[in-house]
Order: sequence, then structure tokens, then C-alpha cells
Amino acid sequence: MHFNLIHIALLFFVTWNTPAFCEDQSQTNSLEPAFRLNGIKTQDAFGPGKSKALLSTVRLMRNNKLIALGTLINADGYIITKASSCVGAREATMHNGESFPLKIRKRFEEIDLALYQLISQQVEFDCVEWEEGNQTSPASWVFSPYLGLQEIRIGITSGNPRTIGREGGVMGVMLGRDGKENGGIEINEVVPQAAADRAGLLAQDLILSVDGRRVLRKNQVIQIVSSKDPGDMITLEILRNNKKKQLKVTLGHNSVTFELFNRNLQMSGPVSKRKDNFPLILQHDLPLPKEGMGGPLFNLKGKCIGINIARVDRVSTFALPAETIKPYLKKWLPTLDKTLSKGIP
Amino acid sequence: MPLPFQRILLTFFFSGVIGFSEVVDQQAWEKKVPENRADLAAIQARLQELIPVTQKALVSIEANDGAGSGVIVSPDGLILSAAHVIGRTGVNMEVRLLDGRRTNAVSLGGSEISDAGMLQIKEPGPWPYVKIPKLHSSKVGDWCFGLGHPGGFDIERGLVVRIGRIIEKKDETMQTDSRLLGGDSGGPLFNFEGKVIAIHSRISNEPDQNFHVPIESFQENWEFFREQDLLTFENIEQGGFLGIACEESDQGLVIQSVIPGTAAEKAGFQENDIILKIDDEVIRNREKLTIFISGKEPEDEIKIEYQRQMSTATLKLKLGSRFE
Repeated sequence: MHFNLIHIALLFFVTWNTPAFCEDQSQTNSLEPAFRLNGIKTQDAFGPGKSKALLSTVRLMRNNKLIALGTLINADGYIITKASSCVGAREATMHNGESFPLKIRKRFEEIDLALYQLISQQVEFDCVEWEEGNQTSPASWVFSPYLGLQEIRIGITSGNPRTIGREGGVMGVMLGRDGKENGGIEINEVVPQAAADRAGLLAQDLILSVDGRRVLRKNQVIQIVSSKDPGDMITLEILRNNKKKQLKVTLGHNSVTFELFNRNLQMSGPVSKRKDNFPLILQHDLPLPKEGMGGPLFNLKGKCIGINIARVDRVSTFALPAETIKPYLKKWLPTLDKTLSKGIP
Repeated sequence: MPLPFQRILLTFFFSGVIGFSEVVDQQAWEKKVPENRADLAAIQARLQELIPVTQKALVSIEANDGAGSGVIVSPDGLILSAAHVIGRTGVNMEVRLLDGRRTNAVSLGGSEISDAGMLQIKEPGPWPYVKIPKLHSSKVGDWCFGLGHPGGFDIERGLVVRIGRIIEKKDETMQTDSRLLGGDSGGPLFNFEGKVIAIHSRISNEPDQNFHVPIESFQENWEFFREQDLLTFENIEQGGFLGIACEESDQGLVIQSVIPGTAAEKAGFQENDIILKIDDEVIRNREKLTIFISGKEPEDEIKIEYQRQMSTATLKLKLGSRFE
């Protein structure tokens, strides 16, 4: 009996002090990936919340390619995700690799959220537990499942919860001076691959009218275009080589169009197309790519406090707070009341 | 036979107990890694306690063709920032505190090697400021948090805090996983005592590739930076040239290699010689050595005290130029 106790102590000694010894030796080297902010050891400190998070998230696929994550919100396999990211999603893959066909139930365009259902005979799906109230204080730990649903990403909330205003559509051109003399507004430059480029606009074209309205000043063009949304179509009448011509332009997103000219966006990697026009957002710094949007955001307790809705840049991601989402879901999914109230003691 | 064996185990057992009690006394952020949610909660609580104090000293700097950040480190308004934010010395710049107060500052010196830069607020103050820790107090693995104005000052957004750990600290650079973006440049990185341990400088594509100027660069070259000198790469090219590559150590600067044909080789310096003093001044910082040598002209004579194996010696040599 006595001997056994000593033996355990020795084991303790070995496992506790060997890493400490290694640490001293590696002082001048770099910190091992496992111990970094997003390292596997730090992830493990989140305890059972981590594995629960991975079980309540799905990967949304189109042509075998991941396009967004989705958040399981009830046992019947209902999921919510970022609407503008998951157009054409047909299939959802779970943490264990199992796949289910998907059916769209409802789109809430104002908040860029879509409601889907997993088609399955399975009786009960794991789902997130919602946090009650908007009570997340600044600089609080948050985490979300990472793309493969085997790991999480860790960070903190930061910045004020706030409304994000609307950004209008853009053509992707640099306009010249107001064109009273030469009878139109000259295009100085066309952004490669942007909306105007795809529609066939060229530098030196003169814009005469937009949607049938004659334009004389640069600001008139900007006003009409920015009053439309990305995805809307406008008709331009232009003058090229003294010939009038009509072109249709499907407007693009400001953030994506001018990426080439913004050093911060270049250093950030791809960002979400829609990252504007939200009634309320929480900001955090999780290193998630744009395919990681649509998944749940958890607090330290493992409760879901929101849905990741836009990758903005290298240091900022927006999440829709749970309290903003719940009223939409309650209206369309009466049975959700049961799951929504889960987690209230 | 089994007795001595048991005695050894017992000795281990007791040292194990001592080791364990030390672990219990540790703060969560001093552990090798947070072990559970309680540790994470302790780190979060500490961070939330430090932010209100540290954020008051954060400034946004309207620089030449963009915006950067900085941090006030004295009540009379000395600001630490980045060399690429101040650009050159003697430039008037507007700085803004987080509460929206605006004031004028003038750029002082710095160094393009580490990217350290200083400014001085013109109004006497007193200004809110943060403290600087003892020399060499930060190490790989330490928790830290960065403040700054990524993308520029934005009053609606408010303060942007990012947490991380020191990944590497080598020569004139510190690497962390506390993520940065343009506009953060010159902003402060704090330790978990609320002291400035580095200044944000540059990034690479990966989320873990965030680079900062270690505070040691400022500490070792304080007078030079403050007296309105900015060491540029041009200065380095035109100034005197010694011809050694060295690494910092506790004893002094250890020579890693001697470039053939240079002043150092002609004087007979060898690998593993340790430089102790130049012109009677102790030099333990690589950047300080470069600042010192570049401040001289080619053909200037300097006196070097050095250590070879167990003995120390002093010699005089004439500096060369980089283009010889």
C-alpha cells in the first residue's frame, strides 16, 4: 500500500517536471504551436464546451467544396447560416464525417441569415445552447469551431457592439471630371475583374445616362449606383468612338471590388462579400477564413452568444448576437421555443 | 536491496511535492498553458482589469500619408511609436487620445533597424501614461495584449484589443500571435502587469506572424532616440563599418562571424570573441553597436575592449566603409 503511493508520486514527478525542464531549455526558441493562443493545448482548456461546439456545427458543401459553416439550433436538424455565403448548398457534413441532404426553409435577408433543415431519419441532433441576454462584456473569451470541425479557434470580443450601416453597390470604375463639355462622364480606369469590367466597360468610355437618367456630374452617377444593392442590375448608355452603346452592369460589393487598392485587405486575405447593413453586431478577433462564417460563437461557459456573419479583415469578425436572431427564429419555427429556452436554469 | 531504491523514490516524492506547491501559487497566465476554464476565466478577469488603465495612454497618430498608433510613457507626454510612423525627425503630427482629445506632437528619433520611433507632445500635460518594465523582463510564452487603431481611429467602433502570447524574441524583433493590421503600427503591446513590452511594427500573411519592436530597443538607445536622431538604413550605409555579425548574450556581444577584408578582420577579431566596451561604453545590444558605429565616419578610430576565452584585452582600430 505504502509502496503504491510512492509509485504514484514518482509518476507525478515525471509527468509534471519533465515539461518544466524542457521549457527552460527552449527559452531562446519559439513557442511550440500547441501552446500558442490557438494551439491544441489552449483549446483543450475550454473543456467539454469544445467538443459540444464541434457536435453542434455542420459544414455546408457545394460541389464537394466547403462554402460556409452552419449552426444546429434544434434536435430536428434545423440549422442557421450566413445566407449570402451558402447559395447552392445541397449537403451538410457533420463532425464525424456523416453527410445529410439539405432543404432550405427560409431566408432572412435583412440579417443575412438562412434557415435550413437536414433531411434525416435520425431522431435527435445535437444543438447549441443559447446564452440569455446581451451580456457579453468587452475582452471576453470567445471561440468557434474551425473548418474541419476537429478544432476550435479562440479569441476575445473587442470594440463596441454596434449597428453596421449599409454599403451600396459599386461598378468598379474611377470616374473622371464632371463632363459638361464633352457630353458625358469619362471613365478613367476600370478595376480588373470588377462589375464594370465584366460588363465590358472600358477606360475612356463616356457615361451618358444611368437607368435612363441623363447624368452630367460625377456625383449623380455615384448617387444612383450607391442607392442600389450589390447584385442589382443597372443600364448604362455610353459613348465609345462617337457611337452610342447600351450596357448592363450587375453591381458588385464595395469591399471586394476595391480589395486591390487596399493594403489592409490585401494583408487580410479573402473577406466576406456582405459585411454591411446589420442591425447589431459583436466584434471579435477569431482567425477564421470567410468559409468559417455561419457557424456558432460561444462564450467561456460554452453557451452560444451569436452566429459569425462576416469576416471583415485580419483582426475583425462580426457576429450577429443571439438576441438579434431569436425573434426571427421564434416567428418561423414555433417548436424552437423549446430549444431557445434551453439553458435557463 | 529494496531499501535504497525506496529512499530514492522518497527523495523524489518530496521534491515532487515542493514542485507541486509552486504550481499552485502560480497565476493562471504564468502557467505554461491554461489548464481549464478557471485558468481562462482568471486570464480574462486580469485582462479586463488592465484595459481601462492601459487604454488611456493609447494615441492615434495622423502621420504623413496614413494613420498609426502610439503610447504615452511619461507624464510630460513622451510617446513610443514606430520609425515608419514618424518617418523622420522634427515633423509636426496630430495625435488623438481614445477619449477624442487632440493635441500636437513633434517626431523625435528612432531606428529603422528595429522600427522604433519616438514623439513628444508639445503641451506640458500631465498626460495619462503607462510604465515600462525592467530590462529583459519579457520572455517567450508570456501572455500579452495589443492595443491600437487597426484601419485608423474609429470612435463608434471603440478600442480594439487582441490577446496573444510571445512566440519568439530574437535580436530586434518580437513575434506574437496577438494579431495586427495596418493602423496598429506604433501601438503598444502590454504584458499582464500592464507594462509596455513592445511596439507594433509589421505583419506577414499567417495569423501568427505579427512582429513588434521589443521595448529593449528603446531602453538600450533611449538617449539617442530622444535627442532627435533617427537611424536610417542610409546612415548605416554611409557611416563607419566594422565588419562583424554578432549575437547578444549575458556577457556581451558574441561575434558570430568576421567579414573578410573589413576593419574587424584586419584588427584580428575572431569568431566567439565577446565585445565588452567600445570607447569605454558598455555595449550589450546589437542595435546600439550599429548606432554607435554608423555614427562614426570611415577612418575614425575606436577603442574596443573584448574577451577571448578567459582573458580580456583592448585594441584600437580604424573603421572602414561598407563599399570597400
